[in-house]
Amino acid sequence: MKPYTTRSLALITAGLLVLAGCGRGPTGAAEKPKDVNTTAKATGTLAVWAMGSEGEALATFAKRFEAANPGIKVTVTPIGWDVAHDKITASIASRTTPDVSMIGSTWMGELAKTGAVDPTPGNLIDKSAFFPSAWDTVQVNGTAWGVPWYVETRVLYYRKDLAAKAGVTPPATWDETKSFVKGLQKAGAGQGMNLNYTTGSWQEILPLIWQQGGSIIGSDGKWTFDTPETVKALAQQQSYFKEGLASTKVDPASFPASFFKGEVGAYYSGPWMIAGMEKDGGPGFAGKFDVAPYPKGSAGGTSFIGGSDLVVFKDSGNRDAAWKFVQWLSTPETQASWFETVKDLPSVQAAWQRPELTADKRVTVFGEQLKDAKTPPPVPTWDQIAKVIDQEVEKVALGKATPQDAAKAIQSQADAVGTGL
Amino acid sequence: MKRLRVAALYAALTIGLVAVAGPFVWTLLGSFKTDAEIRQDPPTLLPLRWITDNYAALFERMDVVTVTLNSVIVAVIVVASNLLFCSLVAYALTKLDFAGGRVVFGLVLLQMMVPAIVLLIPQFVTVASLNLADSYAGIVLPGLVTPLGVFMMRQFMGEIPDELVYAARVDGSGEFRIFFRIVMPLCKPVLATLGLITFMGSWNGFIWPAVVAQRKEMYTLPVALAGLSSRETVHYGLLLAGVIVVITPVLLLFVSLQRYFVQGVATAGLK
Repeated sequence: MKPYTTRSLALITAGLLVLAGCGRGPTGAAEKPKDVNTTAKATGTLAVWAMGSEGEALATFAKRFEAANPGIKVTVTPIGWDVAHDKITASIASRTTPDVSMIGSTWMGELAKTGAVDPTPGNLIDKSAFFPSAWDTVQVNGTAWGVPWYVETRVLYYRKDLAAKAGVTPPATWDETKSFVKGLQKAGAGQGMNLNYTTGSWQEILPLIWQQGGSIIGSDGKWTFDTPETVKALAQQQSYFKEGLASTKVDPASFPASFFKGEVGAYYSGPWMIAGMEKDGGPGFAGKFDVAPYPKGSAGGTSFIGGSDLVVFKDSGNRDAAWKFVQWLSTPETQASWFETVKDLPSVQAAWQRPELTADKRVTVFGEQLKDAKTPPPVPTWDQIAKVIDQEVEKVALGKATPQDAAKAIQSQADAVGTGL
Repeated sequence: MKRLRVAALYAALTIGLVAVAGPFVWTLLGSFKTDAEIRQDPPTLLPLRWITDNYAALFERMDVVTVTLNSVIVAVIVVASNLLFCSLVAYALTKLDFAGGRVVFGLVLLQMMVPAIVLLIPQFVTVASLNLADSYAGIVLPGLVTPLGVFMMRQFMGEIPDELVYAARVDGSGEFRIFFRIVMPLCKPVLATLGLITFMGSWNGFIWPAVVAQRKEMYTLPVALAGLSSRETVHYGLLLAGVIVVITPVLLLFVSLQRYFVQGVATAGLK
């Protein structure tokens, strides 16, 4: 390239960098919510964004809200999970947000920081109606920025037929889990348990830390990964691979087919797997598996809680109607019929007493587990921290790092990333 | 000896064909299987039982006609605009002598070096403030003239002898007449290549149309397809059926333009 061209390129680059400095400044995180006018009749149109199966089903479902609130029209735009985060970020930057949006429960810290989300009005939404752990996903720096819409938590899935053949019952403690898996192996499940040691493995490590009473974030808001509890959690996970109770030698893609074939006897996962097992397992498989609560560690059987939240944006021209829609989605009746529609577990405790939820024994196991479940801190940098944990768990599972080294490595990388608050 | 050679050649070509066509065939066959069968281990090649449920579900859950039409409208505008405007810019850069030509080309090259994802939010803010969000105009705007297209056309036009242009000028022809009557007809192979590349880029484009479209009535095919996946579970059969709907037009276009396409790539590579 000619020197002339190089020089002009450099100039243009410098110009672009200056331009890139512009943008919308963040506001402070602590903020007092304004009340919603509950006496006046809300009217107008509401633009609502929702992802995946929720996005597909909500349009029809919201007709019931329209029928109960004449004058309000709800337009639901289904958006793909792949693009949801980018789309919401772009809409905030350009101030073209919808009125209401569904968001992933770990995004709240980041969104609250943009100053584009409306704090939850206390006069309309009752915090105590929700599972406390679910409410934690919407709370950042003491302010609630939305409501938990639905939840999911992890439990133990196992082959009922193999357990019966081996004469073992679902484990109540960490120690019992190992003899349980050994029993399943004797009954034919050669691979033992399917433990996740790649992407998303943080969701299996965090419960092990919590089950010993450990915590990954201190009261001063600093990460606390280099603790005896984290080391023990990693060591516990590693011991399954070392003792041949779980394998890193098989292709992760062979699961869940390996569970259907009985090569894998147990795994931890969320509520969506019930439908997946019944649908893909083939005829008669529905009776061959069951679920049980997480086995307990020294301090309890805390599981992971995830799900999705609902937020109202400040730029909504129709704030009262938007919050009324969110409130309607949070009533026990709506939550129970929403469960019937898309199988999303209610975040509202009272909904679990309704017949829709009590009919299936397996679903009630999730209801019990939700009483003891925790969310990772909703901080803006959580996705980065999760990736760090995933990498280190993989090294531990493959025997390339000791639990002590991994805990130190997570700590130093997490410190470098910070919480972003 | 010669026979052996031919046999070896055919064997190599067969392996190549299976490697290239295999995934397409598997996708096509998979779209007629149940999810349980797709997940089955060992996998089956031919469906145990041919089902059309996946296509039925696809057409029921997605407004296939509307989103396909959207994809076609967007692709046609983007392709036509790129063919015309990239060629015009390239003509100016190669056949017209004007001050700052090098700077202009430098700008084009610079844009090629900026990853598209970096531009996503600034471009969307621009489009939204022009009130073009949720319109065809908003979806096509950033793709109307692509730096890659300008670059390709410039490389190709640089090979066309200037004498042809001079001769036309001496004969009293205007620049537009030279452009449309002399230069463009000579550019057919590269135009076919550029047309195919921009068509595929637009047809497969995902993030940008997904961010710009605010209602599902404005969605393009890939955007609508992405909405069918849940966060934790994937309906493979449904997705495979969707993939077949998406790639069929591209395959047809490729087959019909193949002759030009191969020629265009060969000539563009000569530089």
